Amino acid sequence: MRQLRRDYDEFAQRETEVIVIGPEDEAAFARYWKKENLPFVGLPDPKHTVLKLYGQEIKLFKLGRMPAQVIVDKTGQARYVHYGHSMSDIPPNEELLTLLDGLNRGE
Amino acid sequence: MSKVELHVQAPDFALQDFRGQTVRLADYRGQKHVVLVFNRGFT
Repeated sequence: MRQLRRDYDEFAQRETEVIVIGPEDEAAFARYWKKENLPFVGLPDPKHTVLKLYGQEIKLFKLGRMPAQVIVDKTGQARYVHYGHSMSDIPPNEELLTLLDGLNRGE
Repeated sequence: MSKVELHVQAPDFALQDFRGQTVRLADYRGQKHVVLVFNRGFT
């Protein structure tokens, strides 16, 4: 999250919104957003509707939820999907920003 | 469990943000790209 906040302007320059979805309730989101002063959209999903829709892997007996990232382009198509295999398996922002540059060039 | 396919329409959804505003993925269509981050929990 801090990594994303650091580069939020880079995403904004690429006409991109960052939306974070998680299983916590709205109070937990509100607290965290205030504490960390986060600029992006935060969507509590305690019923796991979107989490299930997008197939986030749930490993109940292991380490909890793994992170996942999806880039949806302006036409609404999914162009990049990364499902983490561990808690720390998060793609570097540079990878996402490079892909967004490509989308903005019409690739 | 289903997973997202590339180069097809991403599943649309609508959720309320923590301020009570409804956010719909389709609302960004034609406006912005979106990075969806499925978070593993706040630590």
